[in-house]
Amino acid sequence: MKILRSKIKIGRTLKNIYYRGDLEKGIFKKSIAIVGSRRMTRYGKDVVDKFVSEFVTNGVTTISGFMYGVDTEVHQKTVDYGGRTVAVFGCGLDVIYPPENEKLYGQILENKGLVVSEYEPSAKPHLWKFPQRNKIVAGLASLGVLVIEAGEKSGSLITANLAKKMGKKIYAVPGSITSSVSVGCNNLIKSGEAIMVTSASDILKIKSTVHSSLSTVHNLSIMENSIYKILQLEPMGIDEIAAKIESSIVEIGSTLSVMSLKGFITESGGKYYLSK
Amino acid sequence: MLTKVLSAAHFGLEATPIEVEVNVFKKGFPGFSIIGLPNKSIEEAKERVKTALINSGIDFPNLKIIVNLAPADIPKEGSLYDLPIAIGILASMELVKIPEEKSFFYGELSLDGGLRHTKGVFLLALAAKSLGIKNLFVPKDSANEASVITGINVYPVTSLSELIGFLNGVSEIKKLNHTVHHSLSTDYETVEFDFSEIIGQESAKRAMTIAAAGGHNIFMMGPPGAGKTMLARATAGILPPLNEEESLEVTKIYSLTGNIPPGEGLITQRPFRTAHHTTSRIGLIGGGSDPHPGEISLSHNGVLFLDEFPEFPRSTLEALRQPLEDGRVSIIRIAGSVTFPASFMLIAAANPCPCGYLGDPKKECKCTPRMVMKYQAKLSGPLMDRIDLHINVPAVDIEKLIADPTSHKASRGVVANSRQIREEVINARKIQNKRFKGLKIYTNANMKNKHIGKFCDIDKESLLLLKQAVNTYNLSARTYFRLIKVSQTICDLAGEKRILPNHVAEALQYRIRTND
Repeated sequence: MKILRSKIKIGRTLKNIYYRGDLEKGIFKKSIAIVGSRRMTRYGKDVVDKFVSEFVTNGVTTISGFMYGVDTEVHQKTVDYGGRTVAVFGCGLDVIYPPENEKLYGQILENKGLVVSEYEPSAKPHLWKFPQRNKIVAGLASLGVLVIEAGEKSGSLITANLAKKMGKKIYAVPGSITSSVSVGCNNLIKSGEAIMVTSASDILKIKSTVHSSLSTVHNLSIMENSIYKILQLEPMGIDEIAAKIESSIVEIGSTLSVMSLKGFITESGGKYYLSK
Repeated sequence: MLTKVLSAAHFGLEATPIEVEVNVFKKGFPGFSIIGLPNKSIEEAKERVKTALINSGIDFPNLKIIVNLAPADIPKEGSLYDLPIAIGILASMELVKIPEEKSFFYGELSLDGGLRHTKGVFLLALAAKSLGIKNLFVPKDSANEASVITGINVYPVTSLSELIGFLNGVSEIKKLNHTVHHSLSTDYETVEFDFSEIIGQESAKRAMTIAAAGGHNIFMMGPPGAGKTMLARATAGILPPLNEEESLEVTKIYSLTGNIPPGEGLITQRPFRTAHHTTSRIGLIGGGSDPHPGEISLSHNGVLFLDEFPEFPRSTLEALRQPLEDGRVSIIRIAGSVTFPASFMLIAAANPCPCGYLGDPKKECKCTPRMVMKYQAKLSGPLMDRIDLHINVPAVDIEKLIADPTSHKASRGVVANSRQIREEVINARKIQNKRFKGLKIYTNANMKNKHIGKFCDIDKESLLLLKQAVNTYNLSARTYFRLIKVSQTICDLAGEKRILPNHVAEALQYRIRTND
């Protein structure tokens, strides 16, 4: 696919931008910038998954910076759910940085997404280019900027600041007060700069869809049922489940295996999650 | 006059007889030389033998002495030729009479004329028995190694003068009694940790129990401080004692490497070895120009614990593949090839990424994706595929696990200690020993596919569950068979005759999971 050039409105100004993909008019009509830490925790991953799935269902385009961590996760999840996403590069469009994202690059284009950059196609990534890029990330988003997991001095806060200057809305997802990668988000909320959100519907101003409840699951044994109920509270490892249910590890282990096989739960990093 | 004294050289786990020919010339320029491809330690024997003889009250002859170690084309090493050379010189000077019956002389001399603990006596005794050599003169400290072999006379020698007296019929050396190899020691007071000392990690403990019961390799992944190392070390305390055949196999290797302490005989405690990740490949696998067993052979019939698994050089890890599959390692050098047994249970531990916090719910991971990829790529598919049990050892959230003391009476009260777990393991091993009688395999993990078909009785429902798992998780054929082996061990632990669905379901807990 060829790299094209076009004037695009970034915030209040028009800017000449390189892009690759299908620059269809409506792509930025409903769009949100999602930014966050490179050092994403499992919590951040879950938050991205929750928000992106709702955005995709509502036809919102996601915009992010193609860096690893939250950025990559946002692009990846959007693509996985079949949505459109825009990756803003801090380098030329012929340079894939970080290189691990090569596959993702193709997937974004396949899903009618865009990759854009203000730099020459062969421009190398430099540290100073990334804050510059944030201006475009913030400027393209019509709905505002959503911050997920940002440290105290995170680059995501620069994006939020830029967005504020452009008169865009800033949203932040609260995190644990003991987590160092949630300090930035929590500070944004505390100072009133950002609106606290806990689901995409808070941004889209729509009524949230009813969460699937236990009633949809049938044919569970007593043990399976109690495990299911516990996992509804939060994801847990087998030892924690055993401590809660007061049953033997052996029994719980085999029950969990059967439940995974039936597709009720999934396992990742030693913790069990309810299947969505 | 020329005399010939019998001794032995070790090549691999075999001892070959060596004739030590000594000639003390009546004429000629005084000198003392050893020929027959001796290495440095044998060259130095000259000084030891000379001084030991003088300190035993013998006038060392100021004559030309030639010692030949025949056959002359086999390279020889070690200090064990001190005694045969000294006896050869004495016999050549007609100061002692070598017994008519074929006898092995073997041992290192101390400068004061005493005999020192020398490695390899157990192998020597085995060779003596198969070659029909009646008498063994070995250092007293090492003599116990030979005491379990029947049909040979073992003379424990304390000093050169004592032996001279015995050979001349002046004094007596008491033959060592054959010790009956009865029930092996079950004492485990020396173990570092007890399982009951480890807080939480109940599922990991269960997995360790299964691993120990069936001899399965196990891989633990978890953040720093979760207790991986402690779990591994505590496992030493739940291993069953060696059975008689296993004990003989282990003793062979330990005798060759000089790992049997002075005065000790058979090795009865199951080996538990730890290798640091700076261990060289030869140190781990074995090798050298004169091939020596490595850590994997020293862990034969026991456990090898490799902490920080991905920190080992890739070439070292890949070299583990063949021994893990075959239970032995072949070392091929120009001088010849040697095969050492290496049927060990591997305990490997690793962090999920270089910083250790990948996927942690609270702490952020400081590694770049490239670092993580590089780290995890060290653990290649074929290597991980040879490990039966894969477990996660998450960080312990103390509050969650201890909970309030009021409600968890039941679960808090029954934290099993190592002694109880060991009982379970021993019972499961008993079932396996009976199952594999006469097959040269001792554990479920050692089963080959043909054995699985023969011994594993799986009921229909379990088979269905297995098939379902294979389809859902896309399991390879090898993983399928590993699942059955683990199920069999779980079944043995439960004392059941057939593999039931809940055994298979539990085994599924320990399969390889792809990290996302």
